[in-house]
Amino acid sequence: MNFPSFPRILRRAIGPCLLGAALLLSASAGAAERTADPKAAPNDFLEAVANNMLDAVKADPKALQGDPAHIADLVRRYAMPYVDMSKTTRLAAGRYWRQASAAQKDALVQAFTGTLIRTYSGAFTRVTSGTQISLLPFRGDPKAQDAVVRTTISQPNSSPIGVDYRLEQTAEGWKVYDLNVEGIWLIQNYRNQFASEINRSGIDGLIAALNTKK
Amino acid sequence: MNSTAPTPAAPRSRRLTARTGLALAAAALMAGCAQVPHPSPNDPWESYNRGMYRFNDTVDRAVLKPIATGYETVTPRPVRTCIHNVFSNLGDVWSGINSLLQGRGRDFVDTFGRVLFNSTAGLGGCIDVASMHGARKIPNDFGMTLGVWGFGQGPYFVLPFLGPSTVRDGVGTAVTLTAPATPTAAVFAIDNVPVRNSILGLYIVDTRANLLEADRLVDQIALDRYSFIRDAYLQRRKAMLDSRQKSIRASTADDLNRKDAPGGQSLPVYDDPEAAPAN
Repeated sequence: MNFPSFPRILRRAIGPCLLGAALLLSASAGAAERTADPKAAPNDFLEAVANNMLDAVKADPKALQGDPAHIADLVRRYAMPYVDMSKTTRLAAGRYWRQASAAQKDALVQAFTGTLIRTYSGAFTRVTSGTQISLLPFRGDPKAQDAVVRTTISQPNSSPIGVDYRLEQTAEGWKVYDLNVEGIWLIQNYRNQFASEINRSGIDGLIAALNTKK
Repeated sequence: MNSTAPTPAAPRSRRLTARTGLALAAAALMAGCAQVPHPSPNDPWESYNRGMYRFNDTVDRAVLKPIATGYETVTPRPVRTCIHNVFSNLGDVWSGINSLLQGRGRDFVDTFGRVLFNSTAGLGGCIDVASMHGARKIPNDFGMTLGVWGFGQGPYFVLPFLGPSTVRDGVGTAVTLTAPATPTAAVFAIDNVPVRNSILGLYIVDTRANLLEADRLVDQIALDRYSFIRDAYLQRRKAMLDSRQKSIRASTADDLNRKDAPGGQSLPVYDDPEAAPAN
């Protein structure tokens, strides 16, 4: 900031190649600003994950325009590593999970991951440079195995959206397994749909139905 | 040939459309009654509901959604936000009254502060200055008030044209439609009929346009739109009621040692199908 002309001198003197390298370096330095530590307190961990995600959207011009494919890419990179999709899918399938073969389980997790990415991307389609994520005070027991972190995504000149995350303590630290947007839990909202789809056309039918959604 | 009798043809065709509309609605209901293989326990009227849902959806696709989409395309976002905020500010009056009816004095005062601030500094509600200063909107309605007063919600019930509801929320909606302090009442207080009708139309289009984004999302993620919307509606209403009952009790009992679920709201309990065989 103190040397606004420095990049310009660099560009003229050494050429665009080095600038590209410098940009890459600074990008990775920016990403390292907040490290998401799953072993930290649930609120701190989630604050880092959610803000890294938000900053990534803000830094990507196409994602800022609401391009779903771009937002989905960012969700895959910045949010999915901290999500226990296998648990999410298992809970949504409920008792039908035990009827599935190992291959079907894998395919179902894969298919439902796509749905989850699209759902979470939906919360980021209207991000502007003024968008902020704020965390509500943690009200559970920090030593519990199961925790809820409550956040709001606020935009200038409109009502904030409440997004809550449900986490579980695993061997690798906290993992998110359920998501709540404005009072609606994701898993809860899929249990009936999973059950009726399986009743109608079996587990393979459910996998196919999830995969046809784009 | 047609030019000889243009006037009587018009009312007849209008009557015909009306009759076709009714027949369509009836057909939709009949079709709905035919098959529901696995009725959900929280939706005993599912066959009627699915019929009405299909009817609403047909009307929506034919009329409301195209208009709302056009409105979204033609009108710049700041203008749409302004119009939406003006109606939302009018709606805050009724929300505030309901907070009062529920014994939530703090919410009532906060909401009325919002209305005063937004109506003046926010230029008639156009700019939501209150939210920018941290006074967030507290949504409330008469269906919620009935819930706080102890009325059970009854079965899920899809209303004609208005969509997802329950028996209790349907009664709430009926009361809201006759209440003197709602956006619709404000619009109907206008004497000039063309102006009134235009503003009423704008209110409907704004409401629908505001749902377009959610609509697109549901299209992308729902396996079955009907049950996705139903379960989301029921969950959200339950969460709203829970939060109200919780804080009513919290403020009266002032019990700091109460054992909350994490997050202070009741959480869904899932049985993990892998937990049982593992042990």
